[in-house]
Amino acid sequence: MSSENKKWFSLNLGRKKTEIFGSCGCGKTSGGCGGASSTDQISNEDFDREVLAAIGEERKKDGFDQVFNVKMDRRTAFKKLTASLAIGAGAISTSCSVISGDDTKEKAQIDWEEQFKGNYKLMTPEEKGATVERLVRSYQLRTGKTISMSSKNAEEDVLFGYAFNISKCQGYMDCVSACVEENNQDRDSQMQYIRIHEMKDGKGFNFNEADDNYYHEVPAEGHFYMGTQCFHCDNPPCVEVCPVQATWREDDGLVVVDYDWCVGCRYCMAACPYDGRRFNWSKPEVPETEVNKNQHYLGNRMRKKGVMEKCTFCVQRSRAGKNPACVEACPTGARIFGNLLDPDSTIRWVLENKKVFRLKEDLGTEPKFWYFMD
Amino acid sequence: MSNRPVMSRLIYLFVLLLIVFSCKHDEGEYHSVIDRIEAESENYHGTSISSEKYIEGIETIEITEGGHTFLIPERKGQIKLYACTECHTKPLSKMQSKDVKKAHWDIKLAHANKNTMNCITCHNPDNMNSLKSLTGSDIDFNRSYNVCNQCHTKQFEDWKGGAHGKRIGGWAPPRASMTCVNCHNPHKPHFESRWPARFNTQKVKERE
Repeated sequence: MSSENKKWFSLNLGRKKTEIFGSCGCGKTSGGCGGASSTDQISNEDFDREVLAAIGEERKKDGFDQVFNVKMDRRTAFKKLTASLAIGAGAISTSCSVISGDDTKEKAQIDWEEQFKGNYKLMTPEEKGATVERLVRSYQLRTGKTISMSSKNAEEDVLFGYAFNISKCQGYMDCVSACVEENNQDRDSQMQYIRIHEMKDGKGFNFNEADDNYYHEVPAEGHFYMGTQCFHCDNPPCVEVCPVQATWREDDGLVVVDYDWCVGCRYCMAACPYDGRRFNWSKPEVPETEVNKNQHYLGNRMRKKGVMEKCTFCVQRSRAGKNPACVEACPTGARIFGNLLDPDSTIRWVLENKKVFRLKEDLGTEPKFWYFMD
Repeated sequence: MSNRPVMSRLIYLFVLLLIVFSCKHDEGEYHSVIDRIEAESENYHGTSISSEKYIEGIETIEITEGGHTFLIPERKGQIKLYACTECHTKPLSKMQSKDVKKAHWDIKLAHANKNTMNCITCHNPDNMNSLKSLTGSDIDFNRSYNVCNQCHTKQFEDWKGGAHGKRIGGWAPPRASMTCVNCHNPHKPHFESRWPARFNTQKVKERE
């Protein structure tokens, strides 16, 4: 196969090229590639003439000139002018019109401000309060329902940690149910932050042979249960890879996502060694009666299609002093949560007095989620 | 010749500065999260977060056991027929036991075996209003964990520290924890097996 006839594209920088732009692999500008007769290649002068005839002056102009400095007849000019006027008028009419209601105007104003707000991580407390206010008002305008949303920052002298008792977990999955309801997770796709793995006795932590979607009476003979979720690593690899810094570690150790800043590239999902992150492949839907109206900007507020989300240790609850929903729902007391910096806290007692370990400790991710046994 | 002391002094100063500045501990410079926790909790002053409002509706009593002081729910008010002496007017040995319908007929003891335990291992036959220890001293119903910890010593240690059992309210101080009988039925203390709360049908489809 000759180099001119190859089926792939190569850059061919700095070399004299006799092929015509926009031609197909065989080097012709018109007619099928399989044509019988063909004058092999055209000369440089012919090429320039052809280009001039096809796109004229545009070839030498940059993007701006291509649009605004174009010769056109009066009819085309009027057509284009009318179209752009109509678009502009539409935008203005929603905000300035006397016909459309105040609600529509307010909604347009909120949408505008929300569209151009900054990254939550960089906002001042006032700006955080303002965006939360807008989101609450926007929800009110859309559904007529009032929610409460918090933008509470991390408290000083708090570092959240979690301990999971493998001997106690019986696999009831009450935690999963509580988590879905608390965090307004999409019901259709049945997204779940928590996974409960059913492991065979005597096989250790063997995730290849474990079942995280069992449905039989539990605890099953000869099995033990352990849960995984976001471990809120102190050295989180998911944060490192985010190209837009839409995810970060807060001062109280929570690894959070700004759903409005996330571009949905899922790098973090790939970087997480614990499968702790979830992606919204479709628009998350929660029946209006089941929506948890106690929300936090970084937590369980309604997400949209195409963004990442994950366990936040129920930031809306934990920053208010409550336990995460999974801890509260667990009927066996296998889940322990608390402040790692408080020397008198129960989580500290567990770390200091029980034999604790973490998953994949050698990775250096420093998860703040410990496992222990009775 | 006077150059030498100056040089050596400079070297000493350099070494001193090296020692001082090479051991600084800024955030993100801890070797592990445990190091960080130890260093940062050294001057812990407490937080403004409290879980007091979440335990407001629950009547609690404060207990101190083995250096741990915390709240547990009050028990006597939760027992439907307390005080027991309203029916048990005379000691158990003088109560009728044959040919009458029993009051606690629905209680079947499923706790240890018959050699080890029967009703009067925990209940005081002479004073039905209180429990009793193995050596016969009274134990208040509100402090029933003292009955349990006679045998379940390991669980008692874990419960005091907070590794066994469950918190009431939230993680923040003051600590309120459930006591043994809030989760375990003392007459039948094991947890029943049952079906999981949910099954993810979507996951089954995705993995097909």
